[in-house]
Amino acid sequence: MNIIVCIKQVVAGDQVKIDPLTHTLVRSAENSVINPFDLFALNMAGHLKKLYSSSITAVTMGPKISEEVLWEALAMGADRAILLSDPRFATSDTLATSYVLGMGIRKIGQFDLILCGMRTTDSDTAQVGPQLAEELDIPHVTNVEKLERKKNLFLVERLSDGYREILEVSAPALFTISPKAATRFPSLIEIQDAHARHSIESWGLEEIEADPTKVGRAGSHTWVEELIPITREKFCDFIQGDPKQQAKSLFSKLFEKNLLS
Amino acid sequence: MDFTLSIQQKQVRRMARQFAKTELADIAKEIDEEGRFPWEVVEKMGPLNFFGMQAPRKYGGAELDTISYCLVIEEISRVCAAMGLTVAVHNSVVVYPLSRFGSDEQKAKFLPSLASGEKIGAFCLTEPNAGSDAMAIESTAISEGDSYIVNANKIFVTNGGVADTLIIFASVNPRDVKKGFSALLVERGTPGFEIGLLENNCGVRANPVSSIVLTDCRIPKTNLLGREGEGFKIAMAALDTGRIGIAAQAVGIGQAALDASLKYAKERIQFRLPIARQQAIQMMLADMGTMVEAARLLTLQAAHIRDQQGDLSGPSAMAKLFAARTASKVASMGVQIHGGYGYSKDYPIERYFRDARVTEIYEGTNEIQQIVIARELLKRGED
Ligand SMILES: Cc1cc2nc3c(=O)[nH]c(=O)nc-3n(C[C@H](O)[C@H](O)[C@H](O)COP(=O)(O)OP(=O)(O)OC[C@H]3O[C@@H](n4cnc5c(N)ncnc54)[C@H](O)[C@@H]3O)c2cc1C
Ligand SMILES: Cc1cc2nc3c(=O)[nH]c(=O)nc-3n(C[C@H](O)[C@H](O)[C@H](O)COP(=O)(O)OP(=O)(O)OC[C@H]3O[C@@H](n4cnc5c(N)ncnc54)[C@H](O)[C@@H]3O)c2cc1C
Repeated sequence: MNIIVCIKQVVAGDQVKIDPLTHTLVRSAENSVINPFDLFALNMAGHLKKLYSSSITAVTMGPKISEEVLWEALAMGADRAILLSDPRFATSDTLATSYVLGMGIRKIGQFDLILCGMRTTDSDTAQVGPQLAEELDIPHVTNVEKLERKKNLFLVERLSDGYREILEVSAPALFTISPKAATRFPSLIEIQDAHARHSIESWGLEEIEADPTKVGRAGSHTWVEELIPITREKFCDFIQGDPKQQAKSLFSKLFEKNLLS
Repeated sequence: MDFTLSIQQKQVRRMARQFAKTELADIAKEIDEEGRFPWEVVEKMGPLNFFGMQAPRKYGGAELDTISYCLVIEEISRVCAAMGLTVAVHNSVVVYPLSRFGSDEQKAKFLPSLASGEKIGAFCLTEPNAGSDAMAIESTAISEGDSYIVNANKIFVTNGGVADTLIIFASVNPRDVKKGFSALLVERGTPGFEIGLLENNCGVRANPVSSIVLTDCRIPKTNLLGREGEGFKIAMAALDTGRIGIAAQAVGIGQAALDASLKYAKERIQFRLPIARQQAIQMMLADMGTMVEAARLLTLQAAHIRDQQGDLSGPSAMAKLFAARTASKVASMGVQIHGGYGYSKDYPIERYFRDARVTEIYEGTNEIQQIVIARELLKRGED
């Protein structure tokens, strides 16, 4: 089985800074990590590889420094790692991102399964998975917790509004993996082996035969017009009186604010 | 000269940092208070190769370079110095001398279970009357057929309460300790082997530091590490490497103290301003940051020299001396920045302060490092 895992480099949770002029995230080698949601997809791929002899190809679109997340994938069991990188891909929105990923995957060739994270910790749209499936014209299911291969079908389980949905999906298909699925750390030996055995392939616009009008700003149908930081103000209100009075006044305060239904 | 870490080294550091955050951050305070060895975490560290970081592949080790090794120790110690100590001692003064001086049979027998973390290692040199003066040991190993009969009273044994495989230093020649100084591999459970009381230490409390007593313990001669009389050389080689790990532990504690102080200084309001706006506090923070960075560079330099197979004694003693003093000083300044809260168990800075102090003592006190450094400096020729 050929598995493709899409992963993204994000700015570490506590280090998000926005460039005031371009409204984009300020990225550096030091503040960037693999999108934590993608670890669940990588781990699922590793799990499937053990069950059904498979090969895993990890793909990311991003600048040269995103290479680092591909090394994470290689340590977690990926057999091949591809960086889709070209200055013309910069400032792609989710649609343009999905198009680039789609063209990259077409060049990789035959596949049975594409796994994505549920969402990302920096842009957090949860759109790329479904959009990529549309781009490639294959079925998709989001928020998948369990995944099995059954001949030419995949049997998947997802949680939705208090129900467990069990779905059969024909291959090839794309799934975004739930953060409720398992994940793990790569061992030191796996990290060493990844670097000893593998290298990273880098493909630009020409290599994936992408249409330059469908990538980057030109190919983006949405853009960030303005970013307004939200400031949360906290007040502390001491409620006076004996416990009975305190309870009463707390109740009326909460009631006034419509916090009790 | 290139000061940047390789992608691989950064990846190792990221993994260790993430692991420590996920598995140790929430329990570090509690295991310190309870003096509890966190087996549940140790069981997770084994499969990730934290117990065989530099051991040969053949025996299940990861063959990391020493810089990566230091980065791991720093990241673990930054969250929990007691576990940093467990891992540093196990890897550097047990697994390493066994890998270097052990026979093929010894390596095949002892290394795989140590490298996988299934068994924990300990290094037993110190005795009641032999601390800095290691040559004063009174433990004996008397030849009897194909065994030694070992009598030893070892104290302050890191990992002592949980160790399965121990390197014990004793003399095969009680009349001439120096000539007879030898290293023996001893397994817990051997008749006559006893774990003494756990030390009630000031810091690194989650590490079960204990005494180990051997009474007429029969140890097969096949467990002699190196040759008879090579024990002192083995101990010193182990400590030259071990000190780099302790230096890395100290850097981790210093970094933790700096992190906590930066956070607190921005939060604490006095005179209607965060105290971080006071120049006096800024100057402390600046000195703390500078010292920690200098300690880290000295430590990684010693690690680099080890990877290049250079002469290690001087550089590792310098790294350990400077990093240990830095950790103590920076943690003490951190307490100062926290004011009264720094003296309370409600904030982690008091734990860093207690944990930092011992880095100036074990694997050779500051004064012993100074002796080593001075000796190296004085024997150098003039340029
Ligand atoms: C309106 C809008 C405007 C934007 N404008 C800009 C801009 O001007 N400049 C800019 O830098 N960014 C911009 N972004 C962000 C950029 O579009 C997204 O970072 C990118 O498209 C991925 O979206 P996401 O992070 O929300 O991923 P999600 O859809 O939340 O991610 C889901 C999964 O898709 C996969 N995935 C996502 N991105 C990648 C990738 N790059 N490579 C491989 N796999 C991937 C991963 O498996 C991930 O877990 C914009 C986003 C939006 C919504
Ligand atoms: C938590 C902890 C864990 C430990 N783990 C281990 C372990 O795993 N294995 C092990 O073998 N040991 C271990 N030790 C022991 C440690 O290595 C010794 O405590 C240390 O070597 C100092 O020996 P001592 O305590 O006997 O002090 P002493 O040697 O009595 O020193 C007392 C003071 O005199 C100074 N001094 C001594 N000689 C000289 C000199 N010639 N010149 C100048 N000053 C001198 C010392 O620097 C010190 O300030 C551990 C100790 C602690 C506290």
